[in-house]
Amino acid sequence: MTILVLAEHDNASLKSSTGHAIAAAARLGGDIHVLVAGHDAQGAAQAAAQFEGVAKVLLADAAHLAAPTADNAASTALSLLPGAYTHVVAAATGFGKSIIPRIAAKLDVAQVSEVTAIEAPDTFVRPIYAGNAFATVQSKDPIKVLTVRTTAFDSPKTGGSGAIETIEAAADSGLSRVTGAELTKSERPELTSARVVISGGRGLGSSENFKLLEALADKLQAAIGASRAAVDAGYVPNDYQVGQTGKIVAPDLYIAVGISGAIQHLAGMKDSKVIVAINKDPEAPIFQIADYGLVGDLFALVPEFTAELG
Amino acid sequence: MSTYYAPLAEMQFVMNHLAGLEQVAKLPGFEDATPDTVAAILDEAAKFATQVLDPLNASGDREGSKLLEGGVVKTPAGFKDAYLQYCDNGWNGLTKSPEYGGQGLPQLVATAVEEMWHASNLAFDLCPLLTQGAIEAIELRGSDALKKKFLPRMVAGTWTGTMNLTEPQAGSDLAAVRTRAIAQGDGTYKLHGQKIFITFGEHDYTDNIVHLVLARTPDAPDGVKGISLFVVPKFLVNDDGTPGARNDVHCVSLERKLGIHASPTAVLAYGDHGGATGYLVGEENRGLEYMFIMMNLARFSVGLEGVGISDRAYQRAVTYARDRVQGRAVGLEKNAATGAIIDHPDVRRMLMTMRAYTEATRAVAYVTAAALDNAANNPDASARAKAQAFADFMIPIVKGWSTEVAQEVAALGVQVHGGMGFIEETGAAQHLRDARITTIYEGTTGIQANDLIGRKTARDSGAVAKAVVAEIHKVAATLAARSEPSLQAIGVALAAATADLQAALDWMVPAYGQRTRAAHAVAVAYLKLWGLAAGGWQMGRAALVAADQQAAAGGGDPAFLHAKIATARFYADCLLPQASAYARTVLHGSESVLALDVEAF
Amino acid sequence: MKILIPIKRVVDYNVKVRVKSDGSGVDTTNVKMSMNPFDEIAVEEAVRLKEKGVATEIVAVSCGVAACQETLRTALALGADRAILIETDVELQPLAVAKLLAALAAEEKPELMILGKQAIDDDANQTGQMLAALLDWPQAAFASKVDIAAGVATVKREVDGGTETVEMKLPAIVTTDLRLNEPRYATLPNIMKAKKKPLTTTTPAALNVDVAPRLTTLKVVEPPKRKGGGKVADVKELVAKLRTEAKVIT
Ligand SMILES: Cc1cc2nc3c(=O)[nH]c(=O)nc-3n(C[C@H](O)[C@H](O)[C@H](O)COP(=O)(O)OP(=O)(O)OC[C@H]3O[C@@H](n4cnc5c(N)ncnc54)[C@H](O)[C@@H]3O)c2cc1C
Repeated sequence: MTILVLAEHDNASLKSSTGHAIAAAARLGGDIHVLVAGHDAQGAAQAAAQFEGVAKVLLADAAHLAAPTADNAASTALSLLPGAYTHVVAAATGFGKSIIPRIAAKLDVAQVSEVTAIEAPDTFVRPIYAGNAFATVQSKDPIKVLTVRTTAFDSPKTGGSGAIETIEAAADSGLSRVTGAELTKSERPELTSARVVISGGRGLGSSENFKLLEALADKLQAAIGASRAAVDAGYVPNDYQVGQTGKIVAPDLYIAVGISGAIQHLAGMKDSKVIVAINKDPEAPIFQIADYGLVGDLFALVPEFTAELG
Repeated sequence: MSTYYAPLAEMQFVMNHLAGLEQVAKLPGFEDATPDTVAAILDEAAKFATQVLDPLNASGDREGSKLLEGGVVKTPAGFKDAYLQYCDNGWNGLTKSPEYGGQGLPQLVATAVEEMWHASNLAFDLCPLLTQGAIEAIELRGSDALKKKFLPRMVAGTWTGTMNLTEPQAGSDLAAVRTRAIAQGDGTYKLHGQKIFITFGEHDYTDNIVHLVLARTPDAPDGVKGISLFVVPKFLVNDDGTPGARNDVHCVSLERKLGIHASPTAVLAYGDHGGATGYLVGEENRGLEYMFIMMNLARFSVGLEGVGISDRAYQRAVTYARDRVQGRAVGLEKNAATGAIIDHPDVRRMLMTMRAYTEATRAVAYVTAAALDNAANNPDASARAKAQAFADFMIPIVKGWSTEVAQEVAALGVQVHGGMGFIEETGAAQHLRDARITTIYEGTTGIQANDLIGRKTARDSGAVAKAVVAEIHKVAATLAARSEPSLQAIGVALAAATADLQAALDWMVPAYGQRTRAAHAVAVAYLKLWGLAAGGWQMGRAALVAADQQAAAGGGDPAFLHAKIATARFYADCLLPQASAYARTVLHGSESVLALDVEAF
Repeated sequence: MKILIPIKRVVDYNVKVRVKSDGSGVDTTNVKMSMNPFDEIAVEEAVRLKEKGVATEIVAVSCGVAACQETLRTALALGADRAILIETDVELQPLAVAKLLAALAAEEKPELMILGKQAIDDDANQTGQMLAALLDWPQAAFASKVDIAAGVATVKREVDGGTETVEMKLPAIVTTDLRLNEPRYATLPNIMKAKKKPLTTTTPAALNVDVAPRLTTLKVVEPPKRKGGGKVADVKELVAKLRTEAKVIT
């Protein structure tokens, strides 16, 4: 069994998602090869080689791979397939999601998306219906093509020393090209569609103090919400309000900071998948529904939380 | 938090199996109303209600419409956009004639759609509702010139309409209308007077408003036979159809109200600056007669408001009852209980009452809507007449009973919420406040009851009423003859209610002629008795259909059918027994109602 | 320019799905079905392109059971000119759908196909990309802006942490992201007119496509229920648990 992992990178360095994809590959068992398709991407290749368990890094270098289009990225990977590999793995990020399906289609095999657990080399668990159900699926195809959820697989340790081998890049299809990129630093996701929501309550004390939440939100790419009490106190505008008379949210992670947990607030967030509560009052009702309650002073804990995320 | 979702499965069940959509869609002119098209229409309306109207309901209530400098009215944030979108999407013309840009769909389809508007945002829907009334009045008796000038724009919704009946001294009794209209010799009239309580009499939605106004000409006879109907636009209309000079009708104040805050209720002054130009509709002195023709539909719609509010209050209460944790429910094993108040038997009692009343009033209204469609478009003259007679009979019941029931349902909605129900934030209180107007406008419950005992019952010596009683009796007998215990029980309860109804009817017909005051003293009891029995009738029919579907393989959603029969059974066991109390009141109550002299109060 | 819009009939966005007690899947009997929301965005984009005079014909296509006709009628009410149903009772997986669409594209010869980026039932996020590969067309997945001029589509697409602009030669595939547009409501007159627009039916066999599923679903389970009342001692423990136990942060 040999697994090909597609590396996501910006040539100079590797994106953290690649580590998670390598971790998933390691769970499959077998040799791991990492494909770094780019231009002047030695930096990224070296980083990939340092992950434990990576046997070989394949480096394809071509000008048109500097910011590759989906079809060019896919065709370089396809030039290695089929034959040598039993699995193709990428992280379920915008990068992996664009390219992996093209590879699967060209190989005439099914793809398994957003894998959260690996039960056997041909059996995978993945969320469906926005995470309201989890399906275990088995692939009968000769090559298994997967995208994996980064949060489900911890990055392996570094310190390995895989070999770096240069390979030929596939020719430019000339069908499309990337003409620009705009990295928006911290455009906040929308409250109702964000994967992570951080809400502040009256415990924050002022609109100034809501800034505390912003640093944390930047780290988690989270949207910021508020309890009605915080809105009524004028700390934040109306459209921040989560709850009965505000917005209804159901993110993967909801962090309630300085919110006591009135029933009207709970009505707006109780369907969140994981709830964290930070409050100084251990009797606050919010703790009854929180998965992870942290009792203490939010003004100390929130900056500590932000720092801990690195 | 409760979001309004139109009960599409229930609506379609009632339309298809109780009201007979299939038969209605066979009537000439209604061929487009096939089940798949109707389903698509309801789907889209439901989306609009949930996504556009429902979110504005609470904010509209809080903000309210406001009167600014110079008689300008500002509606709450979001209302104007929602209205323009409503018109753009063509909803205004649902039943209107294709000749003026409408879709000519049956009233039955409009009824389900309208229920969604009422439920999601009653205050919003009053504007289209009143426009509909005004359109009808012009369509019914207006000259071709009037029709051409006003109808296309009113059907499109780019101009709205109002109904100007009420004056300070003329509410229930429109014979007391005093607004004067003086012919100018050029075919137009000048109007002078004051109208009060005019819904959407002034607003910021559109660039013109078309007022339909009851007024008297100088030499008109006294009383009801001396009232004429006029069209008075806010802006006179140029020959090219654009709004021209400002007419002499002005909003001089807005009322502060218990509910429907987003709906501006205007005091309109006519002719303070020389006279408002008006155009006569039909003939002089026949205004009230015209008004009564269109009033039928307006009253029906208000009855439907009761259904809509009831459903909204019910949905909100269920959501809260599932969430609110309080006390351990009696008789449930510790771990079986959710801990939420929905496990308490008395909370179940309240929710079932709300649910059963909502379903019963809905069924009665939809069946009446189908009769209106047959009355309008059935090719067979005798079928038309029969349907008209049935609809005429049912309309005061739909209006009076559904709105009275809505009071109880909305109040229970508050009760389910406990203390939070009394706090505005949950929204339960708004439904109670909004519901309160529905028993008042378009004729109070008392006026509906007068209509029911007089024009609808006594005038034909109870002929139509007796025919309906016979229909109910048939359903009761069918139910009682079934093998299923639930159906039998419903049949027995319905048979008892039918007997009560018959007794009340037998009392009412002679009493109306011989002891008028006594008859009127128990008129509302008689109306409520009819409502309860008609509800039982339709719930009984629903239970029969559901049981048949259960028996047939692949006949429908098992959970829905089970709930339908259980709700019908609850209605029969827990609500329908009130019929005998009302019957007793009808038969024996009038004397005590009138026992005290005025001085004794 | 002809645009082909593939649309999927899925469990309505507002329905809270329940897993069947035997773990064989999600219970979809008697639940409300609607057009996949991302596909509504695709239809809207096509209609806007037609309103701008860029597109001349919009063809909606759906693959699946006969009831998909309702969803196609919705697309027609929203502005599609005609519709095609590729009818089958087989449970279709993305690869099969991509093959069907590729076969249809060979007949219809559209210059642009706009698909939703994913369906909200299987959340696969594959079909558009697979279709592009099968046709050897360029793709722009997760579009937030589409401009078409002189045989070239310029698409702004959402990537992690920002946006990227791609220029593609037509014919091409675009998949829609949430921000691309806000779909309109179908108007009542258009719902009525949709009845009369052409809707034709074909089958996988007629298109010569094998649609047999490649993945077998072994079981479907509900996500673990949240119990609540859990406490952590400090921030370190919190972050560790979020990473390793809840697996919601990296
Ligand atoms: C919010 C709002 C909006 C309205 N919108 C409009 C509108 O758009 N256009 C319009 O023209 N009007 C409108 N109205 C007026 C409404 O139709 C009247 O208020 C209603 O018809 C009752 O008349 P009234 O207020 O004069 O009450 P009254 O007639 O004074 O009634 C008082 C009480 O006496 C009873 N009563 C009166 N006469 C009888 C009788 N003969 N038999 C038994 N009981 C009787 C009534 O049932 C009631 O309980 C609106 C009113 C409100 C509050």
